[in-house]
Amino acid sequence: MTTTDIIEVLVKIVAVFFILLTGFAYLTLFERRVLAALQSRIGPNRVGPGGFLQPVADGLKLLFKEDIIPAKADKFLYLLAPVAVVVPVLLSAAIVPWGPTIQLFGRSIPLHLADINIGVLFFLGLGSLGVYGIVLAGWSSNNKYALIGGLRASSQMISYELAMGLAALGVVMLSGSLSMVDIVNAQANGRWFIFMQPLGFMIFAITMVAETKRAPFDLPEAEQELVAGFHTEYSGMKFAMFYLAEYIAMIVISAVAATLYLGGWRGPFVEQLPILGPLYLFLKIMVFLFIFVWLRASFPRLRYDRLMTVGWKILLPLALINLVVTAIAVVGADTKFFGLLGG
Amino acid sequence: MPNKAVRDVVERYDDYIEQGDAPEGVWVGPWNNLIKSLDSLNGLYNWGRKSSIWPLGFGLACCAIEMICTGFARFDIARFGAELFRASPRQADVMIVSGTVTKKMVPQIVRLYNQMPEPRYVIAMGACATGGGPFKEGYNVVSGIDKYLPVDVYVPGCPPTPSALLQGLMTLQAKIEGQKLSEVPWYRAGVSEGFPVPVLGPDIFDPRQIPVIDARLSEQEEPTTKAGKPPKAKPAELPAPEVELTKLAAEFLRGTVGADAFRDEGNALIVEPLRLVDVCHSLRNGFGFDYLSNVTSVDYPDRFEVVYHIYSIAKGGAHIYLKVHVDRDDPVIPSLISVYRSADFQEREVYDMMGIRFAGHPNLKRILLWEGFEGFPLRKDWKEAYYEQEQKPFDSRWPEGYHVAAEDRNIWGKNVRYPQGWDPKTWKAPTDGTLVLQPEELSALSDIDTDKIILNIGPQHPSTHGVFHMRVLLDGETVVDLEPVMGYLHRNHEQIGERNAWLMNMPFTDRLDYLTGMGNNFGYAITVEKLMGSKVPERAEYIRVIMAELTRIASHLWAAGFLISDLGAFFTPANYIGEEREMILDLFEMTAGSRMMVNYFRFGGVAYDISDTFIAAATHLVKERLPRAMEELDRYVTANEIVQARTKGIGVLPRDEAINYGAAGPVLRASGVQYDVRKAEPYSIYDRFDFEVPVLYGGDIFDRYWVRMLEAEQSRRIVEQALRDLPGGPILEGAPRWSTRVPAGEAYGRVENPKGELGFYVVSDGGSNPYRYHVRSPSFVNLTTLAEMSKGHKVADVIGILGSLDIVLGEVDR
Repeated sequence: MTTTDIIEVLVKIVAVFFILLTGFAYLTLFERRVLAALQSRIGPNRVGPGGFLQPVADGLKLLFKEDIIPAKADKFLYLLAPVAVVVPVLLSAAIVPWGPTIQLFGRSIPLHLADINIGVLFFLGLGSLGVYGIVLAGWSSNNKYALIGGLRASSQMISYELAMGLAALGVVMLSGSLSMVDIVNAQANGRWFIFMQPLGFMIFAITMVAETKRAPFDLPEAEQELVAGFHTEYSGMKFAMFYLAEYIAMIVISAVAATLYLGGWRGPFVEQLPILGPLYLFLKIMVFLFIFVWLRASFPRLRYDRLMTVGWKILLPLALINLVVTAIAVVGADTKFFGLLGG
Repeated sequence: MPNKAVRDVVERYDDYIEQGDAPEGVWVGPWNNLIKSLDSLNGLYNWGRKSSIWPLGFGLACCAIEMICTGFARFDIARFGAELFRASPRQADVMIVSGTVTKKMVPQIVRLYNQMPEPRYVIAMGACATGGGPFKEGYNVVSGIDKYLPVDVYVPGCPPTPSALLQGLMTLQAKIEGQKLSEVPWYRAGVSEGFPVPVLGPDIFDPRQIPVIDARLSEQEEPTTKAGKPPKAKPAELPAPEVELTKLAAEFLRGTVGADAFRDEGNALIVEPLRLVDVCHSLRNGFGFDYLSNVTSVDYPDRFEVVYHIYSIAKGGAHIYLKVHVDRDDPVIPSLISVYRSADFQEREVYDMMGIRFAGHPNLKRILLWEGFEGFPLRKDWKEAYYEQEQKPFDSRWPEGYHVAAEDRNIWGKNVRYPQGWDPKTWKAPTDGTLVLQPEELSALSDIDTDKIILNIGPQHPSTHGVFHMRVLLDGETVVDLEPVMGYLHRNHEQIGERNAWLMNMPFTDRLDYLTGMGNNFGYAITVEKLMGSKVPERAEYIRVIMAELTRIASHLWAAGFLISDLGAFFTPANYIGEEREMILDLFEMTAGSRMMVNYFRFGGVAYDISDTFIAAATHLVKERLPRAMEELDRYVTANEIVQARTKGIGVLPRDEAINYGAAGPVLRASGVQYDVRKAEPYSIYDRFDFEVPVLYGGDIFDRYWVRMLEAEQSRRIVEQALRDLPGGPILEGAPRWSTRVPAGEAYGRVENPKGELGFYVVSDGGSNPYRYHVRSPSFVNLTTLAEMSKGHKVADVIGILGSLDIVLGEVDR
């Protein structure tokens, strides 16, 4: 690895960080404006032109807020929790292919940070790690609402990750690889996996809402029941960290869903003009994000035990069926099994 | 506010640098300049903070409704980036103290403020939070939150309109803009140590002031009272059916429990205390009078009188009126809880207010005040801290009088009075024994090592519809037991009402159930009119019905919207319903001059006539707009899968329990009981309209939601008919008067309010103010059912069940 390689990677890391953090900030504004529109309101429009500086103001304010550590909290875990939530989310952004390989300064630069051959697995694993931060936050705050929120988060994650992983396996089987880059390449020429895996996509779409703890699956922070759930006791920037993690998780998981099912950065003319790649991915992510907000404005929350029921008794069997059918189809296609049957 | 201390330090250090004589250990240098240079960042610092003011999501009273409206579509506080009402104080920037601050609530508010991170601000919203407002003289009300917390902005009004609150927010922004980094107090050490949390003793006190209180207690003056005059209350002249009914009941009882158990007084049966349970048992089982509506008591010079109003659900019509005479020196009577569960909270209230003990009551303790409160406030010989006179208007307010603020007359400077002989040094806070786990319960828990936890939901909680408090015993997420705790908004409505002149109580009734001002006016007006024998002009009757039914539509829609929000729907249905409600409030504002606190009814009519504009707008509303809105709500909400899953079969209240628990209004009708005061005992001109009483049989959250929607539709029909048939003519019997003398007697009047049967029990001694004034509040009695309905359900369901009861704390706590 040469120095320029290292510089390239560093630049890309900084760029991804920048994109994610800006994305987080403006996703909050996007959500507030869209929610307002859905509720026949206006939404933030006074801070900066058209409310455009609202996230900046919110960030500044949170930065200057007093940082309270409750007297009876477990101090070490209390401080660790927000970090433990944010780090896995940021790490998981590393495997997203943001675009094709582009030519810049005479170098061919692939627009992803890491093409690891277990990409999907890496993503799912980090998703599971993220829940530790939530549980720790709930536990260390020494607050009953937070504790219940933390417990809900842990059981919710377990029941949804399984279905999510199984749904994603369908895509892995079709593409024959766990690498995100290979998965995108397998969807060239508009052969998006959503057409071959409609059930798998539906399961993934539902579980990704549960995975990011968004309405109607926002039980860990269920405001109407648990005040603010696991982050009830957090203030200032530490509180913002939880939101940072949640919103970046939304972006990353939308990107992953787009990559797995909607052809990632692929779209018309992207071969001729590679810079269209990130643009297409951005548009696809926005579709998912809009649906996230739309769901929040539209649906009441599921109850805890029903959420479990949906996860274990509906989504998991469906994901298994999807897996088996996909497996038969893949094997069949390989061995001309169906061809033989048809004569 | 410029912080003198920091500025002094900076200046002193400047001197040290100039003269080079800094004391040993004081390090001066660039640090000092740094502090000064910080001010160049002021613009950015203040801009960030003023553009992102997140309010603490808690509401105290009526003002909270206007605060919520500020967040809704028409006013949209989100434009300022301030719509993120945070339920956790840790994440909030400003506390909007929206409503009456009671003594029982002050410790909670101070604690919440202490939990907020600096920089934090306080907006005192409305007259009550500013200075006590109309409830200032009440024994449980503090005269303004600024007695306990530093207030940044005061918003006048009762309640302030949403636009006024927005003005308050902008004023706060202006204040933030003027602050300087080098001068703000919150970056110094020791700032966030917190304000002292007051303690509820015999009266509220600050624990650090114990020595002062101890030393000055003897200086406290006891209120000078004129000798109380015995009331000349005479039996009310009841309409013939009630007298007839009393006779029938007496005859029946003579056959079952014997003639020695009671005395027939013509309009009431005076029951022997020891035979009370027998009499009621017999009335319920044999005579069909199965619905105990109202329990209260009156303090006469020679005795206490506990009064009961009992109805028959099946027969409808008038009440049987029971009275029990109780010895003043040893006030004990048997509890009726074994016959009517609806006596539960009402008997506790009688105990709380008048000190009458109910033998056999399983949980007899204070309900509106706190354990340890000194005295029983509705006894005629008990005087509040700001006591001035028995009757209003007080002499000091008359033209030739003088004006002295109440706190200037009180040696403590605030609304408190401590009992003589109280020893603050040895005082210990009593516990009320609410849901305390016993050791044997803990050890008897299941074989795996699990714990039950007690969760306090409220009094500050996003879904308790105000300052309601539930202590919930949880096993995992399943509710094992639940105890409602109330009184955080106990504003001494009845005691203030007994000092007020008759008409002065009218605006106070607006503040009972602050979502249904018109309906409350209606109930009070018809009750007093019973005593006065008024004849209400035709046009006024029609206007009354129009207003009451518009109120019902607004209240039911609001209840439906917030029920869905309680289930987690992030206010979208509530927002759309808020828009419709605003249209109705516009009509009220057009006529009465106020959105919520209408003060519109008068004895014998209404205060102002309605205009042609009103009629046109109301007609458009009920014919065009509301049908569309209700259809839309139905389409998007009712059939929603999650709404159905969350509401069907949850919190079932069976028919018999609903009656026995005294549930009223939609709660009763959703449990299969077709009972509506408008049909069962028609008042005003309700017998002229064509409408139905919807009834559903599931008794669960969904049916309570759905029955409200059906009722709103019926109300819409009534308004349509009333607008069509509206006659001309006068709107008030006789000339308008502000002071009314009401003939001696007693009356119980009731109306079908949106929340259920709202009853007023008044006793007049012929004077200018009521001798006794009691409100039978549907929200309060409906809460009796909460614990039973919630057991075995999940936490999330309890929130939904509470939402489906549709309580308003102003009416629960009064």
